[in-house]
Amino acid sequence: MGILLRISLRNLLRQKRRNLLLGAAIAIGMAILVMANAFSHGISDVLFNRILKYVSGNISVSFTQNGNRMNQLFRDGDRMKELIRKTVPEISSVNEAIGIFSRVIGNARTDNAILVGMDLKSETDPKRLADLKENFRLIEGSYDNLARKDLENPVLLSDEKAKSLNTHMLDVLRVRFQDVNGQNQAARVTVAGIFKPANVFMNTPVFLDIGNLKQLAGYGPNDIGQLYIMIPNPKKNAIPGANALHVALKPPLASAFGHLEFKGRSATATALGFRVDSASLAGLMKLLPGFFADYRLMSNDVLVGKALADSLGLHAGDRCSLSYPPKSGGENVTATFTVTKVLPASTNFPPNVIWVNDRAFYTFYYDHWPSPPQSENGAFLPDSTSSLHPFLCREWILMNRSHTTEEMQRDLKLLPQLKSHAVAVGVPTMYESASMIINLEYALNLITLGAVLILFFIIQVGVVNTLRMTIRERTREIGTMRAMGMQKNHVRNMFLLESFFLTLFSCFVGILLAFAGMWLLSKIQIHSEGNHWDMLLVNGHLHFKPSVLGTALFMPLILAIAAITAWFPSRTAANLPPSEALGHFG
Amino acid sequence: MNIIEIHGLTKDYALGETTVHALRGIDLTIAKGDLVCIMGPSGCGKTTLLNVIGGIDSATTGSVRIGGQELTTLPDREITDLRLHRLGFIFQTFNLIPVLTATENVEFPLLLQKEHSKSEIRARAEKLLEEVGLSEYRHHRPSELSGGQRQRIAIARALVTNPDIVLADEPTANLDSVTGASILEIMQTMNQRQQTTFLFSTHDKNVLKYARTVVHIKDGLIDGE
Repeated sequence: MGILLRISLRNLLRQKRRNLLLGAAIAIGMAILVMANAFSHGISDVLFNRILKYVSGNISVSFTQNGNRMNQLFRDGDRMKELIRKTVPEISSVNEAIGIFSRVIGNARTDNAILVGMDLKSETDPKRLADLKENFRLIEGSYDNLARKDLENPVLLSDEKAKSLNTHMLDVLRVRFQDVNGQNQAARVTVAGIFKPANVFMNTPVFLDIGNLKQLAGYGPNDIGQLYIMIPNPKKNAIPGANALHVALKPPLASAFGHLEFKGRSATATALGFRVDSASLAGLMKLLPGFFADYRLMSNDVLVGKALADSLGLHAGDRCSLSYPPKSGGENVTATFTVTKVLPASTNFPPNVIWVNDRAFYTFYYDHWPSPPQSENGAFLPDSTSSLHPFLCREWILMNRSHTTEEMQRDLKLLPQLKSHAVAVGVPTMYESASMIINLEYALNLITLGAVLILFFIIQVGVVNTLRMTIRERTREIGTMRAMGMQKNHVRNMFLLESFFLTLFSCFVGILLAFAGMWLLSKIQIHSEGNHWDMLLVNGHLHFKPSVLGTALFMPLILAIAAITAWFPSRTAANLPPSEALGHFG
Repeated sequence: MNIIEIHGLTKDYALGETTVHALRGIDLTIAKGDLVCIMGPSGCGKTTLLNVIGGIDSATTGSVRIGGQELTTLPDREITDLRLHRLGFIFQTFNLIPVLTATENVEFPLLLQKEHSKSEIRARAEKLLEEVGLSEYRHHRPSELSGGQRQRIAIARALVTNPDIVLADEPTANLDSVTGASILEIMQTMNQRQQTTFLFSTHDKNVLKYARTVVHIKDGLIDGE
């Protein structure tokens, strides 16, 4: 051990009382900092890992229809799930998150609720199952009742919701809601369990088996709602996973290949949808300037090439039908269109194509997803270099990856400008879906850090005063050491080391204190039902989540503050002339 | 051969608005291996002279050469280095480092030098402690030792680097006559054995017999040799 270090450490013990008091102040400051950081981290942990991940997963794939985020539906579910499994590595689970706003009629009382589907069969991981059950501390009934076949649409609801509906176990309630097709529906549900919510966000939902909910809401066998993907270590993997998925979700061109039929005549044809936003319509018209000089392309147009129209005897105003094989297999399905205009022969607009406006196109397309057309069979599939390509409909619209909730909301607001009936697919992670939670955590941390820095500044004034006192008392020692041949910088470093070690030991004690404090505080039961503070609690207890990284960063920060404040008195000590220091009687 | 050569040395101190002329033109040469006593009443400039020779204080004018090296023009870092390697100090109030044991106090200058192995440093410190008769107190802290014992540790500390010169400022002033005599005897023995030049100041005429050369100072001037 170096002589400077030895002298510094022993001097710390020499002035026990003074250093103990100062150390206690630093330790308390550190403890407050660690506890405050753990508390704010705990809040985001509650929001992210105990609430949000059950609402949107670590990564979610959303399917917004007509700009309405509450209307989540994708008609090619198996394909989407397969794509996710191929793209995102190490998936823990992929679940559907379906929530439907409803009005619940209880015993002489009604209330609003969100019907939330739960996939009971998918939860096989004992830890996740335990986590789930922690969120459902059942007062009556059982979590497993949701799977009972003898009850009509069994549901779990919070004790508060049960109270507001004046309902009890096994009571039958009626619910009114709008299904995915926009039709009003009513259904009967049975109270199969009443739970005490782990947090305020668990008050509103009424939970039922997702299979039952999908059936009630009009989902087809291959239809899916929003998907949420659970992955291990989401902090590290969620954003890269979402980015990879976003690349894989680039939508292909949407088309249907079959037979266009009119008055007993038939010809092979490819149906392509064209975008109807004003920029796309203008772009399409520029591709056939001669024709579109006299005719303005409209958002409800269905256009047929002249050769195809002639072969079928089709004219504007005629109603024809396209018979095509659906992706799900089985017999061909038929889509009918009213032709609004026959296009002249053109290299830009090939002859065996029926050009269908966005709304009409997606109506038949999503109702019966066509089997992918093959160009070898004669289907016209323009590649990305084609001048037509930018104006044609894709299988879906891929939303940009957004980094914050604000960006995501802004992009959603821009969706109607596309005037498209395509499903908008988004791939947000929970960190972007609720970036305000991260911002809240940052803000809390900043406020805490600011407050603690002020506290440390006050403490460091104490350090400076103590050090000055120490130096005054040890002036003759400084003189002796300088006379012996100790260089100025060694004298300075000796005092800096003392401050450093005092702060370091105090920080360690502070961390221990913080952990003891957090353990004690988290043992206190807080009754805050109906109070919004409830969201900060887990089962009525304060939730602390200490961050190793945060704590590890505070240490050098506080040590740096100590070093900076100790620097000036230490330097003064080092610059004392030896003769003056030796002659000092302190 | 002269180890110390001083010419025209003056030292003035500002004391409020007045200037104190502590040394007023000292010319002095000291031969290597000599045992010199600087004698004079309190306030005559003995400590100032030793401080300037030891590089602890600077001269106002004049020249101070230690082993041929001019001290007055050296920067602080080099003067400090010279003190570490060529000079040893013994103080009236012992000035041991209270948080270090007897052995560690003796080892201290060698540890600052960073030129020797740990075992070598420990061996030299223990040998010197044995020579000053304090082997059994090697683990004691200064607060656990008597004045005489502390001063003997200070002597060991001053000698541990094998310096050319040991400067002792009234080394017996805080000791009783018997202990003081034993301290001077140790210095005398070391001087004879190692040929280390010793300069000690005193105002006690009874200790003159230990010196080979006596320099009398009065009012900042040499009054006779």
